[in-house]
Amino acid sequence: MMAWLLRRLAASVAIIVAVVTFVFVLIHLAPGKPCAVGEGITDPEICRQLVRQFGLDQPILVQYWRYLVELAHGNLGYSFALHRPVRDAIADTAPFTLQLAGAALVFDFTLGLGLGIYQALRANRLPDIVLGNITLFVYSLPTFWLALLLLLLFGEKLPLFPVGGASDPILCPTVDSLYCLADRIWHLVLPAATLGLVGAAGTARFQRSAMLEVAKQDFVRTARAKGLPERRIVLRHQLRNALLSFITRFGLTFPFLLTGAVLIETIFAWPGMGRLTVDAILQRDYAVVTATALIASTMVVTGSLIADILLVLADPRIRIHDDAVGDIVTA
Amino acid sequence: MPRRYELLSILLAVAALGACERRQLCQAPDCGTLVDAAIGEPRTLLPTSAEETTAQDIDEQLFLKLADVGPSMNTVGDEDFQPLLAEKWEWDGPLTLVFHVDPRARWHDGQKVSAVDVAFTFDAYTDSAVASPFRAQLKRIASVTVRDSLTAVFRFRERYQEMFYDAVYHMRVLPAHLLRSVPRDQWKTAPFGRQPIGDGPYRFVSWQARQAIELRSDTTFFLGRPGIRRLIWRFTPDMGVAITQLIADQVDVREQILPPEAIERVRTAPQVKLYPYRGTVYTYLGFNLRANGDTTKPHPIFGDREVRRALTMAVDRASLVKSTLGDIGKVPPGPMSSLLWIWDPEVRQLPSDTVQAVRILNARGWRDHDGDGVRDRDGQPLAFRIMVPSTSMLRRQYAQLLQERFRLIGVHVEIDVVDGSVMQERTTSGKYDAAMLSRQNNPSPGTGIAQSWTRAGIGGSNVTRYDNPEFDRLVDRAISAMSRDQAKQYWRAAIETINADAPGIFLYALDNVAGIHQRVDNVQIRPDSWAALLRTWRIPPDRQIDRDRVEP
Repeated sequence: MMAWLLRRLAASVAIIVAVVTFVFVLIHLAPGKPCAVGEGITDPEICRQLVRQFGLDQPILVQYWRYLVELAHGNLGYSFALHRPVRDAIADTAPFTLQLAGAALVFDFTLGLGLGIYQALRANRLPDIVLGNITLFVYSLPTFWLALLLLLLFGEKLPLFPVGGASDPILCPTVDSLYCLADRIWHLVLPAATLGLVGAAGTARFQRSAMLEVAKQDFVRTARAKGLPERRIVLRHQLRNALLSFITRFGLTFPFLLTGAVLIETIFAWPGMGRLTVDAILQRDYAVVTATALIASTMVVTGSLIADILLVLADPRIRIHDDAVGDIVTA
Repeated sequence: MPRRYELLSILLAVAALGACERRQLCQAPDCGTLVDAAIGEPRTLLPTSAEETTAQDIDEQLFLKLADVGPSMNTVGDEDFQPLLAEKWEWDGPLTLVFHVDPRARWHDGQKVSAVDVAFTFDAYTDSAVASPFRAQLKRIASVTVRDSLTAVFRFRERYQEMFYDAVYHMRVLPAHLLRSVPRDQWKTAPFGRQPIGDGPYRFVSWQARQAIELRSDTTFFLGRPGIRRLIWRFTPDMGVAITQLIADQVDVREQILPPEAIERVRTAPQVKLYPYRGTVYTYLGFNLRANGDTTKPHPIFGDREVRRALTMAVDRASLVKSTLGDIGKVPPGPMSSLLWIWDPEVRQLPSDTVQAVRILNARGWRDHDGDGVRDRDGQPLAFRIMVPSTSMLRRQYAQLLQERFRLIGVHVEIDVVDGSVMQERTTSGKYDAAMLSRQNNPSPGTGIAQSWTRAGIGGSNVTRYDNPEFDRLVDRAISAMSRDQAKQYWRAAIETINADAPGIFLYALDNVAGIHQRVDNVQIRPDSWAALLRTWRIPPDRQIDRDRVEP
């Protein structure tokens, strides 16, 4: 197990380095420059000076080497557009993205699991058919469209929730009281619900199938033949075994939530890393784009690793071959 | 009750109590909180580097200029200017201007504001290491020296009509005692820019990254206590969200509402009052006069003045403005926004005349020889691409309308929607045919027009590479003229010259409409800077709402 874990960690680091390199090259090759004379800056000399100051006039290989050296020293670089260390910009925004992704994850799995189990228990009956169609409908909705709809509905028409932002700037510039914690949660509801709702529809469909698959197994039939109560059969035998697919889905959902957050944060003015990334891409802020790719890929790889470890711990039938790098196989 | 339900009940009760906790209520005479929905966050609040509109709006409250333009927006001479940090000034000869700093002025850390700060400020703004975007506007000032602790002396290189404007408009006085020790090449990233100490009507309180900046009124401000106690700029990345926040009564001010349909949406919000005011931006279809990607050769289509004139005549600008912008747009009489005092609808412009446009194109050899609906000459079709920024729906809409107008006279147009940085790179390097461009004016016609349309601006803002020595001469004369009437005559001649040359089609000048909560009283908006007179706004006690009385 330990050897597998170490190999897996090494592979994770390699993936992260590859992602960072790819993003670094891609953003440098993209058309557009971090500073150009136009509708803002009118003096070309200012651009030239800024580009020199930030070392952006150097060849891409030199810039990449410098970036790696800085990274090795724990320095994520300096933001050209924000005029501040990238580390500070990330530190300001990453907690908000984690809050959003975390809340969406809870929303996704709580609602999705509940619906999936409910549907499985009433398979092919009216509630299952109705819910099946609803989840399919929600699953096929574009996230940005749903976000705008919820914003208009619950922000403007029925003003139940705040329109954008992470807190009330008048009462709660920082979360320093219980009231402000409640305020933060209140601000979180719409963006997290948007992000979680589409995911929940997918999770529900996934969980329903898993539950029905397990229901066909011999051990469930045996449990029923033994005369165990239905509740115990569902919770102890059926659900527990169906949770393996849930863990797999957890690993797959995390990247989806992070990429979804990019759009949701922009629409709901949520001050997270997604919005930071969008702004940085538009402004060709190379250091920030690369750093957010680094953080996001680390999160995704970590999420995937956690899912694999959970899978191994949850299912004793799963064994790890000592020579396997990333594979886990069932016994 | 099962134990777990007991625990849940306790948690819910605590949360409910927390939600109901009482805050202290403001009892002061200036109670009031004004929340602005700002698009985008400043990079820094250090005035030398404050390029974004939001940064400049906030700096209006934190740092004073020596004097500022008055409601007339007249930038000629000094009679229409209003004193701020300088209590008075006098001319000591034709090239020397003496300012007397108001002895009551204090930095927010308690230090006195002095003439040393004024001289230090000029030195910083003009230092290449600081790379201030305002540096170019100060090139005609030779020096600023200190005569005594409250007297600063400006010496100019030459005599011209906007000497006073240049001396006061571009610089906000900085605290020398706080910035002297900061290396100049590090000013853009200096911590001072995120925790500034100024001398204006408001003090800096906090900056929550990507969320909000809060200011608090300086009750000891020497020009009078500001009318509203708290100002909050709440950052929003999107105009649509900002407008929804205004309608949902979650912010008090949105200084510019766009597009025109949004104005109708805001009109439905009973608590919001609309305030129209003159705009600072004009938009045009700029023709690249040099070949796409090779600035040494003329453009095969736009290098021909007659063809540019024909294309301009093919567009009915008035009807486009009416159909897309309604009351909030005007057809500019040249390359200018309605902010400028030289705005004159009587200036000679090319008429909208499709028949004449077709005649010109025929005469220049552009005919539809192969019957495919597109004119051609020597086998080359009369076709070009218009570049549009992805961020502007309005400009995209206009490009589509122009595409249709040109199609009617046998000109084929394709539209490239690109993001802002790509557009800036391509226009600067000359890799484009035509582009939907916008330019923002400050109150002086000299600055913007010279930068965007004279030879001096080529390589910079003059992305069409328009180069007419006669136009440059007229602009120089207009800038150097010593009377407003004389300047106006030269400006008129210059604008008529550029209109006749048609390096672009000057499509629309937007007027601004601000949405402001109706409880706010004494709202005065200066067109060049909506926040310049914010300290005079008031919220009368009988109109105050909960958020006005909250003590943070």
